[in-house]
Amino acid sequence: MLKRLLILLSALFAAALSGFAALGGDEGSVVSDQVKFQASRRVVPEHGYRVHEISRDDGLLIREYVSFEGKVFGVSWKGPTLPDLSQLLGSSFAEFQNSLPPKPSRRKAAVVHNTDLVVESTGHTRAFQGRAYLNSMLPDGVTQEVVQ
Amino acid sequence: MKRGLAAATVILMVVSLAACGDGSSSSSSETTTVPPPVNNTQPVIVDAGPTVNGQPIGDADVLFTTITICVPGTTTCQTIDHMAVDTGSTGVRILASQLTLTLTDSTNASGQPIGNCIQYADNTYQWGPVVKADVKMAGEVASALPIQVVAPTNFPAAPADCTAGGTPAQTVSDLGANGILGVGVFRQDCGPACASAISPPAIYFGCPSTGCSVTSVSVAAQLQNPVWTFPQDNNGFLIVLPQVAASGAVSLSGSMIFGIGTQSDNSLNGAQAQATDDFGNFTTTFNGVKYSSSFIDSGSNGLFFLDSATSGLTDCSPRSAEVGFYCPASTTNFTAINSGPNPNAAATTVSSNIAFSIANAATLFNSPNTAFNNLGGSNAGAFDWGLPFFIGRTVFIGIENQSSPAGLGPFWAY
Repeated sequence: MLKRLLILLSALFAAALSGFAALGGDEGSVVSDQVKFQASRRVVPEHGYRVHEISRDDGLLIREYVSFEGKVFGVSWKGPTLPDLSQLLGSSFAEFQNSLPPKPSRRKAAVVHNTDLVVESTGHTRAFQGRAYLNSMLPDGVTQEVVQ
Repeated sequence: MKRGLAAATVILMVVSLAACGDGSSSSSSETTTVPPPVNNTQPVIVDAGPTVNGQPIGDADVLFTTITICVPGTTTCQTIDHMAVDTGSTGVRILASQLTLTLTDSTNASGQPIGNCIQYADNTYQWGPVVKADVKMAGEVASALPIQVVAPTNFPAAPADCTAGGTPAQTVSDLGANGILGVGVFRQDCGPACASAISPPAIYFGCPSTGCSVTSVSVAAQLQNPVWTFPQDNNGFLIVLPQVAASGAVSLSGSMIFGIGTQSDNSLNGAQAQATDDFGNFTTTFNGVKYSSSFIDSGSNGLFFLDSATSGLTDCSPRSAEVGFYCPASTTNFTAINSGPNPNAAATTVSSNIAFSIANAATLFNSPNTAFNNLGGSNAGAFDWGLPFFIGRTVFIGIENQSSPAGLGPFWAY
């Protein structure tokens, strides 16, 4: 019982730390990602959206694509290790995991192409890359190709 | 005997130098001075994998081999079958549940046991201590090689930097193998980045009893591609697998032959080398579009490329065993171009046309076969040339900074 309470408390604490989830979350969640990933961040304006680039000294680069309404509609990553996808995919993480094939039929690449959620993870030791986006949140006139 | 071999090698070098000088009379001298070759041919097989509860795992397109590991410098050894041969990672990793030898933990500069984390793009990971063992394949020995023991019970738990958001693949049924033989283009799994005191990636951890945290580890103490540490035949290797019918084969036997141009059985025979970039990637061009982060990976059990919109191939049903693979109504043929610099002449680009087919994965999986040359699925922004690429081909892999007749690694040649 005590153990269960502790787990619940630590889950709440983790939720408080991460703030809003990244993908599908508010722009403020990008800052919590920056804190979580212990990285520096710059904002690049694009036509119809903004990109927050979070780069870590070990070479991990995360891009978060934010609409003018302040919603994160896409994320991408590239680096020597995988980012914590539970942090980066936020509330979509459970759907991502549930959509993966029964282990281990497909190896070394994860792809989820659901109606709304798309996650694509590829690469190998020393060089990982991937992206995720929500079709329903793409700003008007912006296509999924921008999430790279 | 060893000294005799060394002397013979010196004579050979002198004779070769002399031959460069006059270019006329090398052949008769060489035949008398070549040292006896080491057996460099390691059998490999695509089959249904290790058995769990009396049933083989039954995955498709996984390449396996049997290795021998020993307590360093002793004859206390164990053979481990169904090690997955993986050119997409580096290092020997053995599931603790399959290990009977007692091997000593390696320590970092502070005397702490070293933990190693490997992640894969399918979001799985393996965690465990670095130990040293002699690793033997064919007649070749990698002495006192740092290897990983995956998930032993007597080692601190995996730190969040390794596991967060990931899925463990640390049992035979979850991994579909008894371990991984990581033999990619790199010498180490991480290299100089993990030896740096400044922001090493979360791959090596110092593990005092209080818990593990990211640490820097010298390049020599990192997990190694065993091939480059062999005393000979150490500049790379080739994998040769015979062709299969379009319906596949129940199993497929082939060879992993160590060395490139070091013995009569591993010459390039006209194979064209393409260097990879610093990340182990090269460019695949498809329909005029360049995918510059493409790679060859025997540990990927399919040709993973594009998506259904760009390939025209139907995805297999969600929630089915074949989700993530392609399930076209009829087998579809494609051509792509792989290209990279010639390692012997960096200004020259070497290109190869690659013809391949994709069949319906549900149909393939609905047979007793395990080896397919036409299994594929979607991928993100890169071509992942998995095991089907190796079937019906001889593929050479040149290890980074190792020299060969094709030039300096890292490269692929086929």
